[in-house]
Amino acid sequence: MTWLRRRIRPEQIREFSLLLLIVVAVLIFGSAIDNYYTSRTFNRIASSVMIITVVAVGQTLVVLTRNIDLSVGSIVGCTAYVAGVRIAADNGLPAIVPVLIAVALGAAMGAINGVLVAWGRVPSIIVTLGTLAIFRGLLVDYSGARTVTTDSLPPWLVDLPRLDLFTLAGLHVKVMVALALAIVIAFQLATSYLTFARQFYALGSNPDAADLIGLPTRRIVLTAFVLSGALSGLAGFMTLARFGNITVEAGRGLELEVVAAAVVGGVNIFGGSGTVIGAMLGGVMIGTLEQSLLRLQINEFWRDAVMGLLILLAVASDAVILKRLRALWARADLEMIARSAPRTGEAP
Amino acid sequence: MIAAAFARLRGWEGLLLALLVVIVVVNMAHSPYYLGVGNIINLFQLEIEKIIVALMMTLIIINGEIDLSVASVMGMSACVMAWSFRAGVPLPWAMLAAMASGVAAGLINGFWIAYVGLPSLAVTLAGLIGYRGVARILVQDRAIGDYPGWFNALGQQGLVGPLTLSIIIFLAMFAVLGLVLHGAALGRLVYVIGNNLQAARYSGVRVRRVKMTLFVASAVVAALAGLLYAARLGSVRGDMAQGFELDIITIVLLGGVSIFGGSGNLLGVGLSILVILNLRNGMGLADITGNTQTSVIGALLILSVLAPNIAQAIHIRWKGRET
Amino acid sequence: MEGAAVDRRSDAPAVNAPMLNLRDITKRFGATQALEGVSLTLRAGRVHALLGENGAGKSTLIKIMTGVHQPDHGEMLLAGRPLRLASAAEAQRHGIAAIYQEPLLFPDLNVAENIFISHQDRGAVTNWRQMFRRAEEILASLGVALDVRSPARGLTLAAQQSVEIAKAISLNVRVLIMDEPTASLSSHEVAQLFKLVRDLREKDVAILFVSHRMEEVFEIADDVTVFRDGRLISTRPRAEVTPQRAIADMVGREMGLLQPRSPAKLGEKLLSVRGLGRDGAFEDVSFDLRRGEVLGFAGLIGAGRTDVGLALFGIEPATSGQIVLDGRAVTIRSPRQAMALGIAYSSEDRRQLGLSLPMSIATNITLPVLSRYLNWLGLVRTGMERATAEAFRRRLAIRTPSVDIAVSKLSGGNQQKVMLSKWLNTHPALLILDEPTRGIDVGAKAEVHAIIGELAAEGIGIIMISSDLPEVLAMSDRVLVMREGRQMAVLDRDGADQESVMAAAMGQSTARQPSGAEA
Repeated sequence: MTWLRRRIRPEQIREFSLLLLIVVAVLIFGSAIDNYYTSRTFNRIASSVMIITVVAVGQTLVVLTRNIDLSVGSIVGCTAYVAGVRIAADNGLPAIVPVLIAVALGAAMGAINGVLVAWGRVPSIIVTLGTLAIFRGLLVDYSGARTVTTDSLPPWLVDLPRLDLFTLAGLHVKVMVALALAIVIAFQLATSYLTFARQFYALGSNPDAADLIGLPTRRIVLTAFVLSGALSGLAGFMTLARFGNITVEAGRGLELEVVAAAVVGGVNIFGGSGTVIGAMLGGVMIGTLEQSLLRLQINEFWRDAVMGLLILLAVASDAVILKRLRALWARADLEMIARSAPRTGEAP
Repeated sequence: MIAAAFARLRGWEGLLLALLVVIVVVNMAHSPYYLGVGNIINLFQLEIEKIIVALMMTLIIINGEIDLSVASVMGMSACVMAWSFRAGVPLPWAMLAAMASGVAAGLINGFWIAYVGLPSLAVTLAGLIGYRGVARILVQDRAIGDYPGWFNALGQQGLVGPLTLSIIIFLAMFAVLGLVLHGAALGRLVYVIGNNLQAARYSGVRVRRVKMTLFVASAVVAALAGLLYAARLGSVRGDMAQGFELDIITIVLLGGVSIFGGSGNLLGVGLSILVILNLRNGMGLADITGNTQTSVIGALLILSVLAPNIAQAIHIRWKGRET
Repeated sequence: MEGAAVDRRSDAPAVNAPMLNLRDITKRFGATQALEGVSLTLRAGRVHALLGENGAGKSTLIKIMTGVHQPDHGEMLLAGRPLRLASAAEAQRHGIAAIYQEPLLFPDLNVAENIFISHQDRGAVTNWRQMFRRAEEILASLGVALDVRSPARGLTLAAQQSVEIAKAISLNVRVLIMDEPTASLSSHEVAQLFKLVRDLREKDVAILFVSHRMEEVFEIADDVTVFRDGRLISTRPRAEVTPQRAIADMVGREMGLLQPRSPAKLGEKLLSVRGLGRDGAFEDVSFDLRRGEVLGFAGLIGAGRTDVGLALFGIEPATSGQIVLDGRAVTIRSPRQAMALGIAYSSEDRRQLGLSLPMSIATNITLPVLSRYLNWLGLVRTGMERATAEAFRRRLAIRTPSVDIAVSKLSGGNQQKVMLSKWLNTHPALLILDEPTRGIDVGAKAEVHAIIGELAAEGIGIIMISSDLPEVLAMSDRVLVMREGRQMAVLDRDGADQESVMAAAMGQSTARQPSGAEA
């Protein structure tokens, strides 16, 4: 028990219960929907979640630093369109080019956000509310409201969403899903092990102390926004591949789903705590609901209502239940100290 | 009072007023009919629901909170009305039910924020998604129309002279909320809490009650705006007013209301409304598309906070050089 | 890191060589002279204790030594080399670290990461296993059993302090400043801390130890310095100091212009408090208060005096004990309830809790009883409001061009008067004044004292919480002394002098026996 308590933290319990909730949801849907446990269901959910997840990873980094990035939907739209136009103009371009275009453009847009927040000292909610509108407006102007169409894209890009990386026990794992998963794992590892990334947590956890011990707070905030932009750019490319048809409306409203995924996944909206894996689980929860309710025909419209309830539940449980758990843990720590005290602490 | 008004003109409101004058003059150069009654009424009518909700949002943000759920409450209220009407409920009763749904939404928001103490950003984000969900459940992907003529007329035709009901409600609310915010006890407490919640508590102010009142009022106003929107469009869909919350918050912040609460006034928001309406209209006259208009307003929003910060930084550097 | 430690040891100064020299340090904040010509030397391998009343300038000195503030004048030398600190991070790089009463940890990071957060040599990739092991080693060397994997959130203050000390040790500090590190520790934890301090002393660290507990100072310190009013009064080796002498140095403040208040005629009993307590803040406080009486609450910061005031005003309601007001037993759960009972509490923190700074004088004065100023429409009757504000402006001589200007534009003394007006306007029977003259100039102070005297003469019962000893002695009919959440003594006007009150406040047994409430 002590060993367990030492290894498992209240935050992990939270992620575990979310996982449990997803399993329960899948079981319920499985009993209500015929042919639910199929590779098709898995693929549907996976490909609807992958884009949200990639953006949610970036959002998590931003939220960890006590900021928010509402412009991600517009960045996804812009990068998807620009990369699409480029590849449509020259189908012979190597595959890496549209990816690089999308990621670099996204990073540049994120850098604008980051500079305005970190050096301009404008609250992130205002900056990204503004760039949400500006980026979208620029896209409409640039595109002249034209559309990137599937038939203008090279075949490899059109086929990309159906491309399996490998097949495991009848589950076809798509290349793009694997890519999203790889990003989650990479950023989970980075935020756990990279010293610079650990500073994201420090800054969000106690900004005054971060300043006092001389952490590069501005650079941290800028990095978070640039990464959020770059990941949104990658998601833009994935959007291009998945849908083929890219209108100026691409990615609109995505910011809310992404913030919802992060919040449901246990990322504290006031910074300092939460994990990339958690955000992914939040995205999976939302995606599972979305796709499964879609299969239930009549009830597809329940999706938003359920999602709203889920967010409220997540925030309320953070405030109430997590606090209790932490108190429990702290008390156990105290008891441990008390038990060990007679051994170590003889007064001189 | 007059001195205070003049002092204000040198600040943010003065800047907005100057901007407004420039925009109006440019617009008049484009079109001689610009200041005609018809165009002005039209100007207001196009965004009337947003600016009604923005007035109440002003109080919420001055109080140091935010309500992201307003647009969804607008949609929900319209859908509750449409659904009950379609189910055979007489329209006046259906409208009452819609208003009741607004009260319920406000009570839910207020309970979690004021009494449980959750952050309003998170609670109303849940509301944004959840209330939209209720709207979708009720109306699904239909469009419900065919309301009695009087209902559509309320939204589209002049009630007193050329003034529509919506414009009358807006003007009345502007007057009443101006009085509440700048003259009544509630407005006083809104500022005190927004400035310093702890100081308010230490003075015996019933902070929770004030917050609850504001969130209920915000949702009720949003519900009313949803009905007016339905009357103007003549039909109701599940995605009605989707995304309006961002425009509404932009109007308020551009009006000089601090996102951190405690400062700002209704006059500034009134000017910001006029600036945005005239800017949009003017850009429309100059054949600038709606999305470019939105980006110009987005840029204005960022500049409204960035410019004073830069000015301050330059000022400090300059002073530093002198000494 | 081990390498760095070796380097440092090799060029470490000889034992008892000066490590940090402060020369003629002067610092002003606006009108307040925080430090004046302070020269102090911390030596390697010695514990230097710093004593002084609240506001004597200790905190400012610490902030200058850690680079948070820069001195207006004077210089610092670290191991003989001139030292200029632009930030706390820079101080840390020079091996100067501070441990505060309220530790500055990152609540979401675990213990080990908090210890190593500001290490330059942590590497680009964190080796958790190694970090946990090293954290465990350091904590073990301190004799602290703490789970290095648990987040700092939820740790007790003592545990957080241990983390701070471990952090300082891991950084190989040369100068360690401890600002009241024992204030919230139990005696067992203090013993452990002292063992640690002795270890550090063995390692030639220069330690500055700030404490209000006299017996601790005499247990651990090698040198004792006393501060008063921003000046260094004395520095002596411990052997040459006695508690009595140190206290005399600390309180040797001139009574100056403070005229003892002529006691008012006391009325009937207004308030009777028995066994009042709030979990974790204070316990077993019992006293009586009569109309027209001024009861002084003396003690050092953190003694729990403010908590008693907050309990009586319902901000942080008491969890035990009883309150009898005007012969009726009452429970007070909210400020509104307290106000309805005729209780007013004027906060010690004018700027954060007492006043709404950007709002006008008139607005602040009417805020608690705004409902009195409404017309039938619910609108504020500004004329009536201004009349009230004007009346108080005359009565308390608030110096302002108008009652419509923002309170933030007033001087501290005038702000204090606005706060007094605000609470007098509620017509209280019991007025709790928390630090009514903190940070205001001498003239305004005398005026506030005169006002308090008048109010008592009008029959208001007054509890005056103050860290200004001469003020407490001059104004009070009786003085209640608190220390660490407990009531130490209730002294009569005749039995109270600076030495006896300070001795009780610091837990010195040389004072008269701490009595409970007079039954």
